[in-house]
Parts: sequence; C-alpha cells; structure tokens
Amino acid sequence: MKIQPLSFLLFCTVLGISPKVWAHGANISYQQTQAIEIQAQYDGGTPMDNAQVTVYAPDDPANPWLKGMTDAEGKFTFSPDPTVTGNWDVKVRQAGHGDLVSIPIAGNANGDGGGGENNTVQIATAPTSMNSGYTPLQKAVMAAVGVWGCVGTALFFARRKSSPTPAVHSESRVEG
Amino acid sequence: MHIPDGLLPSSVYISGYAITGGVTWYSLRQIRKKSNPQAEIPQASLLTAAFFVSSLIHIPIPPTSIHFVLNGLMGIVLGYYAFPAILIGLFFQAVMFGHGGIAALGMNAAMMGIPALLASSVFRFSNPLERKQKTWTGICAFIAGSGAIALSASIFTLVTLATISDSIDAQAERTITLLALGGYGIQALLEGIFTVMVVSFLVRVKPELLDC
Repeated sequence: MKIQPLSFLLFCTVLGISPKVWAHGANISYQQTQAIEIQAQYDGGTPMDNAQVTVYAPDDPANPWLKGMTDAEGKFTFSPDPTVTGNWDVKVRQAGHGDLVSIPIAGNANGDGGGGENNTVQIATAPTSMNSGYTPLQKAVMAAVGVWGCVGTALFFARRKSSPTPAVHSESRVEG
Repeated sequence: MHIPDGLLPSSVYISGYAITGGVTWYSLRQIRKKSNPQAEIPQASLLTAAFFVSSLIHIPIPPTSIHFVLNGLMGIVLGYYAFPAILIGLFFQAVMFGHGGIAALGMNAAMMGIPALLASSVFRFSNPLERKQKTWTGICAFIAGSGAIALSASIFTLVTLATISDSIDAQAERTITLLALGGYGIQALLEGIFTVMVVSFLVRVKPELLDC
C-alpha cells in the first residue's frame, strides 16, 4: 500500500490540531494545599449569598489578588500563595454592606522562610466567621449592660434634689 | 443600615467626621441655650438605650435584613438632643457589636442624625401647638418617622453608589444596591407606623415630652 504524501500530511495535521479528539485517556493531577474558607453573614445571621469577595495579598494590598463571589451559604474558599506570608485581607461587599477581615498567614521556618519545599503555612483559623462572633447570650448580656448604663444615666439626672433639712427646726424642738 | 469600616475611601470617613463635628457643635450650642440643659437628659438617655438595642432586632428582607433605627422618633422627642444621643448610641454599637465601626462613626452619625434633626423640625413646623387634632398629629409623626429613615437610606445608597471601587463588579453592586431600596421602603413604612403609635401614646399620657 502506497501512502500518498498529501494524505500523510493531512493525517498529521488532523492529529496535530485536535489532540483532544484522539486522546481517549485522561489524567488528573493533584496537589495538597491549605485553603481558607470564610463565611460572611449579616448581623442577624443571614448569609451574604452572592456577595462580592476581593482578596488582597500582603505584598500588594492595592490590587486584588483574587476576585470571586460567595455561595448560597455565604461561604468562599481560596488557597493563598504559601510563599507570601503576612496578613491577607479579604473584603466582602454587598449592597454597601460588608466587612474586611485580615487573615494572618505565617511561613513555618523549616527552610528559608521564603517558599522552600519544607515550608508549611500556618493559618490563624479562629475568626473564620465575618461577624462579631458573640453568642446570643453574650449579646444579650452586653445589650443589658449598655441599656443599664443609659438607664443609670437617666436616673442620675432625674433624681430629685434633696432639700436641705433646716437645722434650726430640730434645735427649736430640743429647746421646746 | 450602617456604613462599615474598610469598604469606603478614607476621604468619605474623614468627611463624615467633619460633618458630625460641626453638627454636634451646633446641637450642643442649641442645647446650652435652654434654661436647664440637663432637664431632658433622662429621656435622651432612655431613647439612646432604645436606639442602641434596636440594632439587635433584625427583620429579614432580602437581599439583606433591616432593623429599626428610630432616628425619626428620637428627633421628634429629643429635638437637638437627638444628634448627640445618636452619636453615643452608634459609638456603643460599634464598640460592643461591631455595627458600623469607629472609622465610619462620623459618617453613620451624620447619615442618621441629620435626618433626625430634620424630622424634629418637620414635626414641630407642621404641627403647631394644637395637638388635639389626633389625625393631623399622626400624619405628621408618620412623615417625620418614615421620612427620617428614608432620607438616611437615600444618603446610604448615594454614598454606596458613589464609592464603588474598580476592584468589584460595579454593575452587580449597583443593581443590588438599588434593589435594596425596596427593603428600605418597607423599613420606612414600618418605622413610620411605629412612630405614630409612640407619638399617639405620648400625646395621651405625657404630651410635654413632645415639646422639647
């Protein structure tokens, strides 16, 4: 069987421009990373769904490192660059409301501290929720304290000024 | 309806403090002219407590949730005392619950306090002396109560729209901010009704409270 030069060129061209068509195999690579999940809520506990999220890296706080949107539960997940340590600022905004949280990320100094292979990322995960973080009971106690401060002020200024007891009156009784 | 810290340019926060400083000075000056400036501090303190707590009671109205602000009612009852009362209430809200923020305190005080003073003027100007006409008193109270919150919401919306940064989707933010105006309209309606109820009660039991 004689292969025509034109047909051979056509065959090579098809293989070259559409490799996905001919590639029946698939390959998935993975890499273990540490991610940060934030949850944005309104003060009343309602999730800030579809709110706009802007992430700023510590080395460039003026320009966004990542943009995205929260999901239906107000959550947003991103993997910071482990070589950039410092405070990562995450800004969430929706209809003028929102918050800004700084997430400290420090490199563990097993290596050179600047992105070596042995470095791991330490994330301060305590304030993952972008609200005040108080329980309802704590809020109630704080509100009661605040209200009591105002009531105390009102009582102080509303007190009746006691009229001085005339000393002459008691003396006259003794004399009488 | 609190402008938060960190979202707006610094110039907005500084301008807010400048406006609030001026209005606070003017309010205190007017209070000082009274024969007994301390006489109305008790009701100012109690309404500050109500203002402080009202931010914790949320009514979910998508895409956000609302809470009573009560700035119109404070203006009606307190007059010039309303502005410093709102300023103090906002300070404690920011410090204790993180509502708003210290940087945004001036802007929030101006946004809520100036409409309170206007509500006071509207209520007194349009309701001269004769408060026996309950219907007219109620209408004035509703206009003052709902108008104050509507004005605050308008200021909030204008500031929000004017300060959308390039780092976010401006069109989406603009759309949802305008949609939120519907929620503020409901809030204004509710606050107007609540103000009418309180003012009607005060007219019946202690009308001198409305003559500050």
